[in-house]
Amino acid sequence: MLELQLLLGGLQNGALYALTAAGFALIFGATKVFHVAHGATFTLAGYVFIGAWNAGWHPVLGVLAAMAAAVAFGIAMERFVYRPIGRHEGGFFTVFVAAFGVSIVVQNLIAMVAGRGFANVDSPLSMASEVLPELFLAPVFWISIVAAVAMFLALTLFLSRHPAGVALRALAQNADLLRAYGLSSSKLSILAFALGSVLAAPAAILTAMTSGINEAVGNHVMLISMAATIVGGVGSLRGAALAGLLLGVAEAVVLTVLDTQWAEGASFMVLFAFILFRPSGMFGAAVAR
Amino acid sequence: MIAYLSNLATLAAIFGLLAATLNFMVGQAGIFSVAHAVFMGLGAYAGAQVALLVVPNPLLACLAAAVVAGGLSLCLALPALRVRGEYFVAASLGLQMMAVTLFTEAKPLTGGMGGLVGIPRPSLFGVVIPVLPMALIALVLFLVLMSAMQRGSFGRTLGAIRDAESAAEALGKNVAVAKALAVAFSAAGAGVAGALFALHLSFVNVESFTLEQSVLVMAMLIVGGTGTLLGPLLGAVLLLSLPAALSFLPFIPPTEIGSVQQIIYGGAMALLMIFRPAGLLGDQKRGRSEA
Amino acid sequence: MTIALSCQGLARSFGGVQAVKGVSLSLPAGQVTALVGPNGAGKTTVFNLITGNLRADEGSATLHGKPIMGLKPWQVARAGVARSFQDLRLFQHMSVRDNVLAATEPAGWFWQPGGASARREREAKADAAIQAAGLSAVADARAVDLAYAERKFLSMARILAAEANVWLLDEPASGLDLSSRERFQGLLHHARAQGVAICLIEHNLDVVMALADRIAFLDRGQVLAEGEPQAIMRDPKLAAIYFGDRQ
Repeated sequence: MLELQLLLGGLQNGALYALTAAGFALIFGATKVFHVAHGATFTLAGYVFIGAWNAGWHPVLGVLAAMAAAVAFGIAMERFVYRPIGRHEGGFFTVFVAAFGVSIVVQNLIAMVAGRGFANVDSPLSMASEVLPELFLAPVFWISIVAAVAMFLALTLFLSRHPAGVALRALAQNADLLRAYGLSSSKLSILAFALGSVLAAPAAILTAMTSGINEAVGNHVMLISMAATIVGGVGSLRGAALAGLLLGVAEAVVLTVLDTQWAEGASFMVLFAFILFRPSGMFGAAVAR
Repeated sequence: MIAYLSNLATLAAIFGLLAATLNFMVGQAGIFSVAHAVFMGLGAYAGAQVALLVVPNPLLACLAAAVVAGGLSLCLALPALRVRGEYFVAASLGLQMMAVTLFTEAKPLTGGMGGLVGIPRPSLFGVVIPVLPMALIALVLFLVLMSAMQRGSFGRTLGAIRDAESAAEALGKNVAVAKALAVAFSAAGAGVAGALFALHLSFVNVESFTLEQSVLVMAMLIVGGTGTLLGPLLGAVLLLSLPAALSFLPFIPPTEIGSVQQIIYGGAMALLMIFRPAGLLGDQKRGRSEA
Repeated sequence: MTIALSCQGLARSFGGVQAVKGVSLSLPAGQVTALVGPNGAGKTTVFNLITGNLRADEGSATLHGKPIMGLKPWQVARAGVARSFQDLRLFQHMSVRDNVLAATEPAGWFWQPGGASARREREAKADAAIQAAGLSAVADARAVDLAYAERKFLSMARILAAEANVWLLDEPASGLDLSSRERFQGLLHHARAQGVAICLIEHNLDVVMALADRIAFLDRGQVLAEGEPQAIMRDPKLAAIYFGDRQ
């Protein structure tokens, strides 16, 4: 039963990874920005929720505050970091270093304000109960799965039905095409950052409610997001989400054999295996250069 | 005071070597890695083990460090460089995060969390020699090598790959080999720096080879300026003096100095990229690439 | 007439769209073959298939009778096929001389084989190419600082220095003024006299008529016609396709 327990835990983590990675992939697909500060978005949203909880706010208010913080941070990154760099034609390297720098600042500011080490919220939702003999599940498990599926469905609907969503998908496929149709790519890129960032908020909140988060969690999230985007196939939202799920489960499988500190190794191994044997990812077209 | 300055000078030479070799990979070849501390760590453990188990000969330690770090870097470089630049960054981040666990758990080789202690003072022909002159010699040697390569055909090959990879291929350049060589050379340099670091402190543990250390080296490079020979050295000196400078500021509580330092690196990296992408010494046109 | 490069039945599709379907082409040594056709006809894709930048779904290609299909781009280049890119892809931050020198140094190792005498030989070769392309005055300027026409000629100088016997040129003359164009035609005439097989993608029909010995007309991934420039250009059906008023 221990295996099943770990597997379900992996599924829960995987669902949250899927959300976060889908956000990263959405931003990367639509704007071609390798948004490594996505990990910082996650950390920020998690700590805002914890802060609101500790201040005695209503949980719904806390969730909204976390989402607002995530969106605001994502948009701020787009406006004040990526766009100025884009204006002087900065390459991948410039964008990466700037975003990485901001991540370090966020991580250390949080450490100074909220203190180092793990922080979490204790709610009745995180109390596990025995659903089957020797199998413990907390309501958070179901919330995670439902939240992931619901947000993903909403995102898919938005991208396929709403005109702005369709435009975003067009942007991902061909930026020139869009310019020819006179759509504003600047507004769309803000939309991409807002949407991508908001996806990280529920994942951060639910992680804070289960295993807890620390100020350095953003590095792990950054790695998961990048790995999932590559494993899923660059440009594929569905691929990134599935790969996120896969990474969560892979970590759980590793944990059945090894200690927790090897969880990081699992995502690296999966990533490396894909780079070795299938560099185009699960759903990616062959990389043409 | 002399001891303090000589310690600072030794560290400046070691970190100067780290930043300069990272610069070779980033500025010259356009390959971006956040795992430089891993290669430094491989070199440090290799050098320390040579000194502990075989003979405290610094040349042998540095050689072993260069071979181990350079050789193992190929295992990452050869597969990850076949694909796009983003992949290498992601893979190096993953490697950096996993390597910390590996270094902690491989106790027979690394001593785990406790690290390797009591590394003997380096000596040549029975004479104990301080690390400072060796570090300076290593730094100068690598700088001379790198500037020679930069001016020669290998530098042109790497520059061509950095500026337009497909055109370099169309001129018959085996891009994968050239990139892998650049990575191996750079990692070997980081390994030498690691060995000198271990010999200098007579002690190493995993805490010197974390993501924070990689970020520190990267920040030195960014602040000084990529693509220049002396920029990384300036960056190393500036950032190494930062903790001392901060401790003079009365309003920062000592427990927060680490965080303040990191905020300064991070902030400097972000602001420089936005306003002065080639760093303090860099050629400002250079930061604009078509990548 | 010896055939330098020939390909048979090249095909490639992208996600269900057949970009190139069964293209066969022969490039005779010492002749200029122009590849013409409307936008999206698959001209650049044919180049990419030959040079190994794209993998062909079907088809074969031989260089002087030796198969080159499946080779990597750098292997095709070393076998003697030089190409230019429509977007030039110069080494922007390197000097003109370094751009051209890079073309003479195929080895990717720390050093080039042959020692000092070989190095002097390469430098002489690069200088000759720079002079032929008319770039001697700007030899120390960086590529990024060059004027438009100079960039186009730098792209040509790299190819001159590479000493290949097959040239695949992707719109090398587009946007050149009349006098630059004449200089460019001079370069090609000279190379043709040396026995280089040249394949040229070109939209400007004046340039095509002035330079081409043969024309291959490509439309929707297929070669519709191949032959003498006069004959091809007189064909009203092809002209209709080319100028975009197809039924």
